[in-house]
Amino acid sequence: MVTARELTKRWGSHVVFDRASFEIGSGVTGLLGANGTGKTTLIGMVLGLHRPDGGSLRVNGLDPETAGALVRARVGYAPEHHNLPPDIRAHDLVRHIAELHGIPARVATARANDILWQVGLGEERFRAVSTMSTGQRQRVKLAQAIVHDPVLVLLDEPTDGLDPVQRDDMLALIRRVGTEFGIDVVISSHLLEEVERICDAVVILSGGTVAASGAIDTLIGAGRGVLVQLDTDAATVEAIAEDLRARRFGVDPGQSADQLLVTPLPPPPGLSATTADDPGTSPGASPGDRTADGPGDLHDAVRDVVVAHGAGIRRLSSSTTRLEDVFLQAGAEDAPPYVAAAEEAP
Amino acid sequence: MTAAARIHDRGYSRYTDERTGTGGAVRSLYRQTLQQALGFRRSVWQKILPFLSIVLAYLPAIAFVGMAAFANTQPRVAAQVQELLPTYAEYYGFVYAAILVFVAFVAPELLCADRRTGMLGLYLASPLTRGTYLLARGAGTLTLLLLVTLGPPLLMLVANTLNGTGPTSIGEFLTTLGQVLVSGVVIGAFYGALSLAVASLTTRRAFATVGIVFILFGSSVLTQLLIRRARFSQDLFLANLLLLPLELVFRIFGESGHINRTASEAQTLPLALAWAGWTGGCALLVWLRYRRLEVTR
Repeated sequence: MVTARELTKRWGSHVVFDRASFEIGSGVTGLLGANGTGKTTLIGMVLGLHRPDGGSLRVNGLDPETAGALVRARVGYAPEHHNLPPDIRAHDLVRHIAELHGIPARVATARANDILWQVGLGEERFRAVSTMSTGQRQRVKLAQAIVHDPVLVLLDEPTDGLDPVQRDDMLALIRRVGTEFGIDVVISSHLLEEVERICDAVVILSGGTVAASGAIDTLIGAGRGVLVQLDTDAATVEAIAEDLRARRFGVDPGQSADQLLVTPLPPPPGLSATTADDPGTSPGASPGDRTADGPGDLHDAVRDVVVAHGAGIRRLSSSTTRLEDVFLQAGAEDAPPYVAAAEEAP
Repeated sequence: MTAAARIHDRGYSRYTDERTGTGGAVRSLYRQTLQQALGFRRSVWQKILPFLSIVLAYLPAIAFVGMAAFANTQPRVAAQVQELLPTYAEYYGFVYAAILVFVAFVAPELLCADRRTGMLGLYLASPLTRGTYLLARGAGTLTLLLLVTLGPPLLMLVANTLNGTGPTSIGEFLTTLGQVLVSGVVIGAFYGALSLAVASLTTRRAFATVGIVFILFGSSVLTQLLIRRARFSQDLFLANLLLLPLELVFRIFGESGHINRTASEAQTLPLALAWAGWTGGCALLVWLRYRRLEVTR
């Protein structure tokens, strides 16, 4: 839906994008980044309102710089700010936006009605915006963004100012837009938890580049494993780590010297990872010499190796990476950009 | 629930028919401009000022038409009544207050509100560009101003003609019609461009309204003082933004010397060039201002 290649954008001396490349596919995509990392600038460029200083950007196969009107006709946009015209009725605003995007007046009236019902403002649709709560205004903004049946809708901080209940409702509504309505959604947000909840994919911006992008499952899945805290000396810890590596597990140090983060590695080419009789055991391998698929297998394997070395276990728990971990790692100055394969994105 | 009753959940429906494109967006914004300025679909309070201005602009025209019709039936007082009736150019003097209220109100209501409420961002996220946005808003503003600068003299012309007190031949009628049309556009375009320029500089409607009034009356007072007291050149009248278009209207109708001495001494060509310069300059200022305006940063 959106493809950027070597995208460069500067505001004066401040470089917002420095040869950034990424793809935004179908479904719901989160656009993450700290303040000032270029989320809103990117939205502006997608809408053809800002001209890139270098590289290329394609939206639905079109260049927003040269075909801005065509792009914007099929893209919806809900801004971050809350101050819509106070004296206009929600229905009038939504209908007007529909007409601006090329929907004939009579159809626009009907669609404005329908869409306000869909976002839960059916009974409130003829109220002035000024009399509405923040949650209702966010729904009006969403309604005006999708009333003209766009192929892509850009939502800038759509849950800003909402209480937890309203936020849950709004997130569920956005998820519906991306699935049931069949409209691709890009959410600009700095709230990782909500992006993780409803997005299929994510683009993380940091320091003028795309620090990470791809399907959330892929990004989070890379860090799944077991965290083991040992009750032994440092030499034994190192010996256990070497043994686990020899058995084709990924081993990284934990937060303290007595901790190890153990992750499964894919089986070597041509070697079946599992058998029907002995899940997780390769044919001909010793009981401990295996790769693990399920979390239980990995726990068992680590436990067996630790026991074999005569060490004690203080803690053995699953270690799942959250989007926050990916974000922090990607945003760290020395961390290499982590870009999941584009074809893995939904 | 009766047998005929149904509950319909239409769900979300796709739109696959043809879209109206940029032209449709411009037409929609033009129509919305008229509705917003006139207070349609708004509260009663937002209807009062525009409709009061319109009534004030049309009321003298209706009264003069009535007086002309009365004079037509009373030959003994016809001459005296005709003496009281203003010419088309003089008519603007009667409704200048209504025009200025409209001028000071319309453009700020449109441009300032769009930037202040963030609607400009939504407009520019549609097929509209900055240019087509300004085209629609500008055309709407001009139309609204023509409502009070063109409508009343046109009403007078048509009514007087039908009443037998207006032009006596088709040629004379067409000449007067042309003069009325050009005069309406001269005043409407001048004040429309000026008010849009001032409104483009602030997001506060009240500031823009006060600014427009201050510029119009301030320029008039200042130029008059400089010419009369400080002995500046008479050409300084060309910077009198309140009276410049009015004097030009007198020239269009072949009249002069009705405003004041400095106005009557100005040459018609410089007057016309000054009008074009101010109008074009204000329009250019609006364009430059919007060209550089960031809306989603």
